Amino acid sequence: MTLFRSMAIRMALVYILLVFGFGYVASALYGVQITRHDELFEKAQHTYTTRIETHGSRGEIFDYDGSLLVGNMPTMDIVGDPANIFILNKKDEAKTETECRMIADFFERQCKNVNSDEIFRRLMRRTFTTTDKDGNKKEQDCHYAVIATGVEYDTAKELKEKVKELSFHGISFTSSYRRKYPKNTMLANILGLTNVSADTFIPVQGIERSLNEAMTATSGSKVYERARNGRPATFTNNKSEPTLDGYDIFLTIREPLQAIVEEELDLMCERVKPHAAWAILVDPSTGDVLAAAQRPTFNPNDRNTMTTESATNRLSELALEPGSIMKPFVISYALDKGFVTPGTMVDCEQGVWKYAGRLLHDTHNVGKVPVTEIIKQSSNIGTAKVSVMMGAKNLDSALRSFGFGQKTGIQLKPETSGIFRPLEKWDSLSVSRFCIGQGIAVSPLQLARAYCMIANGGYMVNLRIVDRIERGDDIRIMPVVKEKKSIFVNPTTKKMITDMMIGVTEAGGTCTEAAIEGFHVAGKTGTAQKVINGAYSNRYYASFVGFVPAENPKFVLLVTCDDPTVGSRYGGSASGPTFKAIAERTLKYMHVQPQLTREAWLAERSAAQKALHERKVREDALVQARREERDRQLKAEKAKESAKSTGTAVASRPSSSTKSTTIRR
Amino acid sequence: MNKFTKKTDPSKDGTGDRRAETPWRAWLIVKMVLIMSIIFAAFFARVHLNDKTEQLAREKERITAQIEEKRTEIKKINIQIAQLKSWENINAKIRQYNLALRAANPSQVHQISRSGIDTPIMSRSDDTRIADLSANTVQNSGEIR
Repeated sequence: MTLFRSMAIRMALVYILLVFGFGYVASALYGVQITRHDELFEKAQHTYTTRIETHGSRGEIFDYDGSLLVGNMPTMDIVGDPANIFILNKKDEAKTETECRMIADFFERQCKNVNSDEIFRRLMRRTFTTTDKDGNKKEQDCHYAVIATGVEYDTAKELKEKVKELSFHGISFTSSYRRKYPKNTMLANILGLTNVSADTFIPVQGIERSLNEAMTATSGSKVYERARNGRPATFTNNKSEPTLDGYDIFLTIREPLQAIVEEELDLMCERVKPHAAWAILVDPSTGDVLAAAQRPTFNPNDRNTMTTESATNRLSELALEPGSIMKPFVISYALDKGFVTPGTMVDCEQGVWKYAGRLLHDTHNVGKVPVTEIIKQSSNIGTAKVSVMMGAKNLDSALRSFGFGQKTGIQLKPETSGIFRPLEKWDSLSVSRFCIGQGIAVSPLQLARAYCMIANGGYMVNLRIVDRIERGDDIRIMPVVKEKKSIFVNPTTKKMITDMMIGVTEAGGTCTEAAIEGFHVAGKTGTAQKVINGAYSNRYYASFVGFVPAENPKFVLLVTCDDPTVGSRYGGSASGPTFKAIAERTLKYMHVQPQLTREAWLAERSAAQKALHERKVREDALVQARREERDRQLKAEKAKESAKSTGTAVASRPSSSTKSTTIRR
Repeated sequence: MNKFTKKTDPSKDGTGDRRAETPWRAWLIVKMVLIMSIIFAAFFARVHLNDKTEQLAREKERITAQIEEKRTEIKKINIQIAQLKSWENINAKIRQYNLALRAANPSQVHQISRSGIDTPIMSRSDDTRIADLSANTVQNSGEIR
């Protein structure tokens, strides 16, 4: 019985102990599995999982046909592990120092811009101090010391082999890439460039800046559980967030056309030695920029060639007074709204006209001429008179309807919208000056777009330099933004203004140098005085802009020379020959067949020459007649005076050849 | 199974047919062996497959690295091609070898049209080109700004 009792007590004790024991285990399990689950799970995960950040590559830039303009050049970064080098040398100070010195000397010999002492110093720095949240300082092993960055891929591969042969400890090679511009200076100002800071590309300008968001790669990550050897364990759920490369950008630029424009621009710079020069080639039907170049420019692969002058994108950032190339916009508006017809006679006052108390001059004396001749001979006075007749309000809407004062919509940043004062702020002179491109500042892109509108029959079209962006099968085409309604009310306006502009490149026009055999070239010259320190200087912007073939234009081309120092300063002489050279080569590239045979074209030219000669003869005769009339008048006046003094009466009648203007306000 | 119950069974006492006992024991052994072999097979299969999987994982890693390397090489070569194809380089070569090259006269050039072949957009007629682009054209309101 006693035995039984003691057995029962012992069993009860064991039972109680077991209950408590299990109870404790259960509560501990509850604590571990439920209460502290998240905290402990995170801790455990931190111990046995590895997270690797993965980076995609930045989008590349191509021309319309897929020729690479900006690419990612594979390179390698060489990194040392100072703490590991020390451990692998069995923590022997002398041995570690010897190896570090050998590594440093080796890389100084093999890589450019690497300093042996600097590498040695970095490799010998085995620890670094960190401060935690509470401000406590802590010594930590240093596992990262940069030896060289951006080492060329092939060189790095060779170095890797050599490092293996020499059995250097703690050296690793990591893949990286840098931006490469394989065409060097070509299109540099449009493409722009990037800087690199902590593995991130910082866009500086151009397409690199304006489409940075699309080109930037999305970072991803790989999370895996480590096996004993440190490699990813096979039977675990390895999570990964995908890395997405940036979109590749396809421009509207055609590389062959770009090369033509760049070459011809270089030749022009040799010929006239300007301060700067630029040219832009645009498809008037879509607003596609086919080529755009400027001088001076820079090589994005060599930052030493960069200056403020060469890095500025003049096409989109520069606002300049355009001069006479503004005239066709005013005249076409006046023709369209019926203020004038091509035959309306305008007295150009033989080169000097006073308006609002200020004199306006023409570069050469022009008499009473039809509106057609105003464009052909680029008469400031003639245009100003048409403009005055239209009135300020109409001139304002004319220029605004051609897009002046607004951005062109091109995917380039920054872009100026020019300087075009609102109507309320115009003064009495504005109406006679804006129409000839004075007092108004426009960008080359705005000018090109406005001429596209003349060429395409008055349809406002936004300029486009990015055709599409692509990432694998994800292709996004940038839409053509074009107004569906023409600004020309009269369907014949385009023909009328085009015919006038064709006259510019024919005999008697201001730029016969731009004529192309077999084609009608519609164009306009512009010679604008540069404003320096708020005053007009004797330096000029010499421009020529036009479209070919005039009747069915394939492109609009603007060539501008900033301050030509050799030869003529006029737009026709400085920029006209370059326009011709680019246009001729572009027509060949586009396989545009000539409109006229050589014989027909020459016949047209000689007919124009003959007409000019006849007109000159007529004008000379008129001038002669006026001169004789004036002499006669003078003689009559003298005779009258002498008769007065002698008391004789002489009959006289007023002359009928007094100056008259068809348009005068 | 104890010896008392066995004894009550006349067929299975010492006097009974002893051969009748053998299949039962043999069957037990066979069953044991079968179970054990399945367990061993499963164990070895697991070990073997594990090994194989790890081998394949390593192989995959190696091939992935190779693909990555090839991709890098392709990128490098693409840039070299772009450099060689640049007009700057071609012009330099033309000058270097004094090649008498010049652009063709438009009258010497004839466009060959073959059905089924997509001609470059530049050389198509305006109408076709505009039709192509019209699908992606955003039409603004007719108002002039």
